[in-house]
Formats: sequence, structure tokens, C-alpha cells
Amino acid sequence: MNPDRDDAARLRRGDTAGLTGLMGRHQERLFRYLLRLLGDETVAEDAFQQTWVRVAERIGRYDAARPFGPWLFGVARNLALDHLRRRRPESLDEVDEPATPHESDPLALATARQREAGLAGAVAALAPLDREVLALRFEEELALPQLAATLGVPVPTAKARLYRALARLREKLLARAPAEEWQ
Amino acid sequence: MSGHVTELLPLAAAGALDPEETARVETHLRECAACASEAGAWRRLGERLGRMPSPRPSRALVARTMEAVEECLAERRETAWNRAALGFLVAFAWTLAVVSWLLLDLVTGEMALRLGRSVGPTAAWYVAYVIAGWLAAGAAVVLLGRRAQEEGRTV
Repeated sequence: MNPDRDDAARLRRGDTAGLTGLMGRHQERLFRYLLRLLGDETVAEDAFQQTWVRVAERIGRYDAARPFGPWLFGVARNLALDHLRRRRPESLDEVDEPATPHESDPLALATARQREAGLAGAVAALAPLDREVLALRFEEELALPQLAATLGVPVPTAKARLYRALARLREKLLARAPAEEWQ
Repeated sequence: MSGHVTELLPLAAAGALDPEETARVETHLRECAACASEAGAWRRLGERLGRMPSPRPSRALVARTMEAVEECLAERRETAWNRAALGFLVAFAWTLAVVSWLLLDLVTGEMALRLGRSVGPTAAWYVAYVIAGWLAAGAAVVLLGRRAQEEGRTV
């Protein structure tokens, strides 16, 4: 008895009850992953909606012998990376320049500074692919082979990406507040 | 004391070392206070990453998404019906064309075209009609095939 497989079969027949089941089980993880990868809530919401529409369109291609989660994340990843490439075609491995609030808005400035000082700010300041690998490992708790499969790369490459993301995160934390954020 | 294992500590905190590397790190940490302290910092960072605030999709977003998917499914049903209807029409056109050719043979009483004899104006128009029917059906098949190919492109 595999609820994902049963719901995928329902959705393939055009029954939206299948979608309700799949969304109920996967929506939180999917949204969190998209938010980390895209770094913007509005964009993540669009990508979330597009992902489920794409799932409904392509459900005939889902191989029910395999787990549904990685396939879903693969669909979401392709859509998110397409969006990021359109926004910034040069590289997904570089840091986004965050928008700085205008100096005449002290509350916005203070809020931005507070946010940037914490771990969430340091993570947000990383490149999309660094944020992605950290989210998959530490929030989604994927083991290295599953992480590599989701990224579509060999295990040693996934390992190298994970190492690089952690090293960059440490640099960000040390640059912000060495005493509180590291030791 | 063996050499420091600083480079392995981030991946150790991520649980991404192979068994040999894990054994090397564990052995070293028992002997080296500096590396043990560094390992602790990485471990705490890993724990904090796992506890980061976890945003959830709003109910409104979920409702919007369900609505969008339902529209998509309705469109898919319509497309499937259209495709089936078009396929049937193409098959029907081909069948009519073939049958009409046989009927022509039957009506003229002999294989006038194949024997190279001159045919009357009615028969000539009839032949033109049949050929036009075949060409139209062929074009429909090609167009259908190209459309199916476009729809089939992956994400």
C-alpha cells in the first residue's frame, strides 16, 4: 500500500482527489524547498503553483515504481532553475545582491540589519545552489545519495557542493557576528 | 597525534563522510581539543540549519493551486476528446477515399485510368476529388503528428 502511488494513479485518471492527497503529503516540504532555492516568497508561491500544474500535466510520465517525492522535487527544481536563469542568466552559483532599504526608512533599515545578522540572513545571502544543497541536507534530511539524485549529479559532486556551501555559510556568519554566530 | 581533520569537519556535521573518513575523524577528535571544539561548532550549525523557521504555503495559495490544476485537467480532457475526434475523422476520410476509388472502378466498369484510356469529364473531376481528399487527410496526419510532438516536449 503506497498512498503516493495510489494518488498518482487517481490523478492520471483525471481525479482531483489524487492531487489533494499528494499535495497534503508534500506541500510543506515542496514550498520550503522552493522558498530556499528561489529566496523570494512571491516567486516561490508562483513556482509552487506551476509545479503542481506541471505535475498534473506530466503525471503520465511518472514511474510509479519509484518514489514520488524525488520526481516532484525534480519537476519543481527544473521550473525554479528556469526562473533563476531568466532572472540572472550568467550563473546560479553567484550571490544575489540584496535590495537595500532606503535610508529614509529607519524601521526597514533596522529590520533588514536584524535579519541579515542571523543565520537566516546568512543563508539568504548565499547563492541559490548553495541554499538548495543546505536545505535538502539539513531541512529535508536527504542522505547523500538521495541528495545527489535530486540534484541530478554524481555523489562526489553533491558532496563537493555541500562542502562548499557550508564553507561559504561559515564565511558569511564570521563576517556578520563572529562571536555569536560561530562558536 | 595524527594530522588535523579540519577539512572533514563540515561534512562530518552533515553526515556526509564515508566510513573510512568518519573513523579517521573520530580517532582524531579523541586526541585533539582544537578540532573537537571546531567539530562542536559545525555540529551546532547543522542543528540550527535543521531548526530554521519552516514556512508553510497559505490556504489561499493551496486553494489557488487546486483551482489551477482543475483547469489544467479540464483542458487535458478537452484536448484528449479533440484528438480522438480528429483521429476518427482522419480515419473516416481515408476510408471514404479508398472506398470511393473502388466505387469508381465499379461505376466505370473497368480500370480506365490504369489502362490509359481517356476518361470523361465527370470521371476526371471525380479522380481529382479523390486525390484532393487523400492530400487533405495526409496533411491532417502530418499536422496532428507535429502537434503531438510539441505537446510531448519535456519540462
